[in-house]
Amino acid sequence: MGNVVKERGLVLEKTFVAVGKQLTQAGVGQKVLELILIGVVFLILVPFLGAHRATDFAIFCIIVLSFDLLYGYMGRLSFGHLLYVGVGAYTVGLALRYLTTNPLLAIVLGIVAACLAGMAVGAITVRIAGAAFALANLAFNRVGWFLVMSPLKDITGGENGLSIRNLSFWYVNFRNPTFRFWFVLASLLLVFLLLRVFTSSSYGVLLRSIKEDEKRVRFLGYNTQFYKWVTFVLAATVAGFGGALTALNYGYVNPNTLDVHANAGIVFACLLGGSGRLYGALLGGIIYMLITNLLPVYFQRWEFFLGVALLLIVFRFRGGIWGGLEALYSGLAARAKSGSSKEGMSR
Amino acid sequence: MSLLTTSGLTKRFGGLVAVNSVDLRIEENETLGVIGPNGSGKTTLFNLLSGFFPPTAGRIFFQGRDVTHLSPEERVKMGMVRTFQLVSVFNSLKVWENLAPCVAWKSGMYHSLWRFMTTPAASTWADSLEALKLVGLEGQAEAIAGELSYGDRRLLEIALALSLRPKLLLLDEPFSGLSDVEIAKVLALLKSLKGKITIGIIEHKISMIVDFVDRLCVMNEGRIICEGNPSEVLTNPLVNECYWGKQETLERAGVSGV
Repeated sequence: MGNVVKERGLVLEKTFVAVGKQLTQAGVGQKVLELILIGVVFLILVPFLGAHRATDFAIFCIIVLSFDLLYGYMGRLSFGHLLYVGVGAYTVGLALRYLTTNPLLAIVLGIVAACLAGMAVGAITVRIAGAAFALANLAFNRVGWFLVMSPLKDITGGENGLSIRNLSFWYVNFRNPTFRFWFVLASLLLVFLLLRVFTSSSYGVLLRSIKEDEKRVRFLGYNTQFYKWVTFVLAATVAGFGGALTALNYGYVNPNTLDVHANAGIVFACLLGGSGRLYGALLGGIIYMLITNLLPVYFQRWEFFLGVALLLIVFRFRGGIWGGLEALYSGLAARAKSGSSKEGMSR
Repeated sequence: MSLLTTSGLTKRFGGLVAVNSVDLRIEENETLGVIGPNGSGKTTLFNLLSGFFPPTAGRIFFQGRDVTHLSPEERVKMGMVRTFQLVSVFNSLKVWENLAPCVAWKSGMYHSLWRFMTTPAASTWADSLEALKLVGLEGQAEAIAGELSYGDRRLLEIALALSLRPKLLLLDEPFSGLSDVEIAKVLALLKSLKGKITIGIIEHKISMIVDFVDRLCVMNEGRIICEGNPSEVLTNPLVNECYWGKQETLERAGVSGV
């Protein structure tokens, strides 16, 4: 009996090591495998959550991924990332109201608008170092909130938000939750693939170098301001994509999409999953959404658990959940290696 | 024409004049040693040359071009590369990854942002390994840089500098904190570079570099107090004075028992 349990444990361990080995290798076939794996995870979520909520999870993951590029990879913490989500969402809402009936074109416009906003704000904020960077971005996020709530109230609907009427066009029908799910899942996979390519390139290594010691990177001949700006714009653009999808998923845009307080949720999700790791961002996004969606059902003061989790991460698991899995994998892989070499010697 | 010249280079920190109107000259392919006691302004001088901070007054010319107000990265692109007194590599990255951006830069990948962002870092592996072979670290390419010994990290830092194809390599106390074996390794590496590129080297202990450099500059209290070939410089009474105090001068003045 005990043997069976032990053997099962061994099988689990071996599977874990084998999967880890696959994930740490690079290559086209392997990237396809990763995408399929992520898709399967979200498909598993659908029966439990429903298509609409699973779509919400996937959108949140896109936003966390974009934030991870800025925070996890480049080491620049921003408390104003939701500004771009808001810009994307409002652009889609306004475009579908005043400009076009094609949601796809509206998405493109939303992405472009977030990109432009990122270019403008980034040009100012990336020059600032440390905590001031986080706060300067927070200030811009506040400005965005203010614009939506007050001076632009007539077109944004202020507190009431903006409902979107034109949700279907040609074969594209955002009224259908199943369509939305597949569309967003495809978007998530696209974003993941793109960021996977970027972060594993020399540019990705440069970002990690900037995270560790920006000054030193300048003495390697790189204009770090430029690369910080590029990364900021990239993160803003992807966040804008997430915002555009949010608008279409709800058929409605409200000021909560750029609520400054919600930035903490993104930071939290990023830390929870493991910052500086794309899988960490995905995992963090899903788990954060599970916590915030399910815990309130059972506990009135559910935020307590978020606090405890955050403390645990900060003091004990700096790499987050994915970092913990990585450590476990490298430990087991090393053990497997030493085990097999011992076997070889005894032969 | 000299590769690098400075005229009246001065740096003040509040009331302290760290570098005081220095006129330095480095010839092409020469190896210049800058020595001097602690706090004499050697590192500040290198910081000025590499663009770490701007000078209070004076000019720096590199290959005849005024580079006084260029940023560090622009100077690196022109071929002025430096290392730091405390080893400065990226500890959280793997050894070969440390080199990846430098190698990408060298191979021109840098010129196209899209190519830079989409070409896998692993494609720089061969070039990175080549650069590591130069300093004998190719066996540790996959190790995390922070786990290397201090001496190996120094070698890695030099490999980083060399991978940028410098015309002028400025080394700030490359032997500090190293064991004798490690010093021998670094010295052998530098000797193999001598004559191929221009090297400026700061050292605190004269004996370390005296048979290695072509020319020595001695700094004290922010000024170059003497320069010339090593044997000349070492016999100069001013140098002894700044290193050992004014003993000789005092003796000459008839004061005994100092």
